[in-house]
Amino acid sequence: MKFAIALFSPPHAPSSRRALRFAEAVLAGGHEINRLFFYRDGVYNAADSIVTPQDESDLPAQWRAFVERHALDAVVCVAAALRRGVLDSREAQRYGRVAVVPTPPWELSGLGQLHEAAQSADRLVCFGGD
Amino acid sequence: MTTLHLLSRSPFGTPLDSTLRLLGVRDGLLLCGDACHALQPGSAPLQLLEHLPDSVALHALAEDLEARNLMAPERVRVVDYPGFVELCTRYDKVNGWL
Repeated sequence: MKFAIALFSPPHAPSSRRALRFAEAVLAGGHEINRLFFYRDGVYNAADSIVTPQDESDLPAQWRAFVERHALDAVVCVAAALRRGVLDSREAQRYGRVAVVPTPPWELSGLGQLHEAAQSADRLVCFGGD
Repeated sequence: MTTLHLLSRSPFGTPLDSTLRLLGVRDGLLLCGDACHALQPGSAPLQLLEHLPDSVALHALAEDLEARNLMAPERVRVVDYPGFVELCTRYDKVNGWL
């Protein structure tokens, strides 16, 4: 079965960890993830500049490792990212900012990517809240 | 059409009854995160859950129960992450109440 997974919460929220554990279980169960979509505060999970305290789980690093290990399609909503200062090199250049945060495998793209993923997946599972 | 509803917010901060009113008779509910506090013995949220029709399956995520030192009543099936994934495949849709 194909899963699209959307995450709405920042790395320090328990739901971000839950989304990652769920995504791991999806693949371990022999299913497919057609897209991960990071929306609203979920875009911070793609921010390479986040420094997590040593005694806490480093969710941005864990998400990156997971995406890279499985070569997943990981999309960060560009509008949600820009308003939070999460700019990749192309957007930083476009707006004349120095911040360069998400680097590949993260890709900044539009909300249409979530819609498209939901259409082509068997299930869309959204994570947010506490 | 059946739907698995995911609840993660505390039932003491977000009213549970407005969500439960929208459940179909063959829908399922998975409590995770702070929503697990709905299983607190003697609480008003637990009473609401107990009044759901028997056809509505109730589930709770194991690690979130353990983290809160909560026990699931007999009616509530405790699932791990593979069980969570399996639940998603069993219902036609998954609705996360963010």
